[in-house]
Amino acid sequence: MKGALRCGKPLLGDVLVIVVGLIFVAFLFKTLWHNEQAAKLQIRLGDKIYATYSLDQNRNIDIQGPIGITRIVIADGKARFESSPCLNQYCVHQGWLSHKGQAAICLPNQVSLELLGGEKPFDSLNY
Amino acid sequence: MRFLVLIFALFLSACGKAPLVQTKSYVFGTLVDISIDGETEEKAHEVTSQILQDFQRLHHQYHAWQSDSELSKLNQSFVAGKTPIEISPELSQMLTQAQTLSKQSQGLFNPSIGGLISTWGFQRDEFTPVEINDAAIQKLVLANPQMSDIVIKGNAVFSTNPAVKLDLGGYAKGYALDLALTQLQKQGVKNALINIGGNIIALGQHGDKPWRVGIQHPRQPKPMATIDLLSGWAIGTSGDYQRYFEQGGNRYCHIIDPRNGYPAQGTQAVTVLLPPSPQAGVLSDVTSKPIFLSLPDQRSNAATTMGVEHYLVIDGNGNVTLSASMNQRVRWLAKPAKITVQ
Amino acid sequence: MPNSTKNSRIEIHTSPDDHRIAKLAALAIGLHLIEAVLPSPMPGVKPGIANIITLFVLYRFDFATAAWVSLLRVFASSLLLANFLSPTFALSLAGALLSLATLFFAQYLPRHYFSAITLSVLAAFAHMVGQLLVVRFWLIPHAGIAYLIPVFMTAALVFGVVNGLLTNYLLRISPAKFDEDKG
Repeated sequence: MKGALRCGKPLLGDVLVIVVGLIFVAFLFKTLWHNEQAAKLQIRLGDKIYATYSLDQNRNIDIQGPIGITRIVIADGKARFESSPCLNQYCVHQGWLSHKGQAAICLPNQVSLELLGGEKPFDSLNY
Repeated sequence: MRFLVLIFALFLSACGKAPLVQTKSYVFGTLVDISIDGETEEKAHEVTSQILQDFQRLHHQYHAWQSDSELSKLNQSFVAGKTPIEISPELSQMLTQAQTLSKQSQGLFNPSIGGLISTWGFQRDEFTPVEINDAAIQKLVLANPQMSDIVIKGNAVFSTNPAVKLDLGGYAKGYALDLALTQLQKQGVKNALINIGGNIIALGQHGDKPWRVGIQHPRQPKPMATIDLLSGWAIGTSGDYQRYFEQGGNRYCHIIDPRNGYPAQGTQAVTVLLPPSPQAGVLSDVTSKPIFLSLPDQRSNAATTMGVEHYLVIDGNGNVTLSASMNQRVRWLAKPAKITVQ
Repeated sequence: MPNSTKNSRIEIHTSPDDHRIAKLAALAIGLHLIEAVLPSPMPGVKPGIANIITLFVLYRFDFATAAWVSLLRVFASSLLLANFLSPTFALSLAGALLSLATLFFAQYLPRHYFSAITLSVLAAFAHMVGQLLVVRFWLIPHAGIAYLIPVFMTAALVFGVVNGLLTNYLLRISPAKFDEDKG
């Protein structure tokens, strides 16, 4: 124990733990971060799905939550919280979301955004 | 500590792979969707833009109702008389191919009925319903324009029938697919999928899986099935839901029966799947029409006549009939109530 | 009966250790409060410097004391910040509990090879997992936060290492005094 304390530097085991930690984090990035562009925006209000919009069409959406109106903007395949009645404005600061799986949450007004993929089980459509 | 950062960077860089480059644009009055896989983004964009340029050229050169197109000029000369005019070697080749296919289809594929298509109002960018002019239709059917009326001698062409008015609407997209495939191979692209207004041709595959295409449900805004499109294969659909108008409870679609001059009734869609060949694209565009226009008990024959092994028909009631070989390829997303395997 | 009067008087015997622990808990609460008011780049991403105290106590005293200090900090801070039983409190408590559970096992790692850095990193990961579980199963019951998990975990790793280094440093600069007190 004393040996560990005399020097503040990492020991062999610490380095091992850090390396494993890095691999773990890299693995998380690899599995949870998609490069895929999103196709749809799902908006939840409270525990319900409020609406799902295509990202193809630009539009503004105003949602009445418990503490006021949250404005969400869809533009050029991206979506963001434009304005929110909450105090901390974390949701607005999250900025644009554009990739599948990205999400932004406004806890105070109980509004959450999640970008979904095209959910297309195919590459192109024959019609 | 530095080596930890290096390891981390290595892990992140291992995640990056050549992305799928997908481009959507508007040519031939329809959506063109080009996907290229496994090439650098730069190369993919370069090849895509070349292909789109080719498509634009084809679109303008063989436009059926823009008076300055090569095709329109040819149509004008057909009306003027039997004096041969010089056309491009490409158009000459296209017409020869179309003649062969028209003959094979016993006239059910007939790109010389531009007059009828125009009467029905389908030769317009912004489609609007028209008043049905039975007399005009009758007259045009009696004039009996046929591809065989066209005489091709090298690049000199004339028509023995002034009623011949070419409209390559059911052919040019397929031709463009074949052209694009050749272009892609020339550029060394290994994996691509090209979709021109629903007609699709595949090259290589997507990642480690074949390209997968969805088949549109004729009455619902969603795909009803998927098919794996192997390298070189092409798929095409003729549907009554693409361009149509409704009048007096009847649906008038853009697929006109050359025998009576009226839009085909009683079929919602015909999908054909073509194996690799230099004219797979053209065949995917052309061969669905004779099947579409045939009576239910004649469809199998029509497919055989056109050399189509894989076909799927949805009749007016939404019932599905498909060939055994097609049945093996189709994966249903929304399985129809009634399926008959022929 | 008569002599019971004397016995009924409650006497609290406080040892120097108790004072020490009280001071450390107060310090932990202080650090917790500072962090609570400091702006954060992202909700949920915080350095967790109060955990340094938990680790310090674990090394200097024992696991039970560390658990006391940690939980005392969570409850006292939430009362001071007036968010007792709120989502913020739940996040904090879940993080602390899972982190303590991890430390309970991690304390037996051979100390010749594993210093406070290891414990700090493991505790930070556990803390984050605890918070994410609360978010997933209570606050936002859908998979929307999956995208943020790598970011949270990266932050946990970085702050875990930093806090571990600081703990090592603290243990090094103040060993004698505390050993004396304890002795």
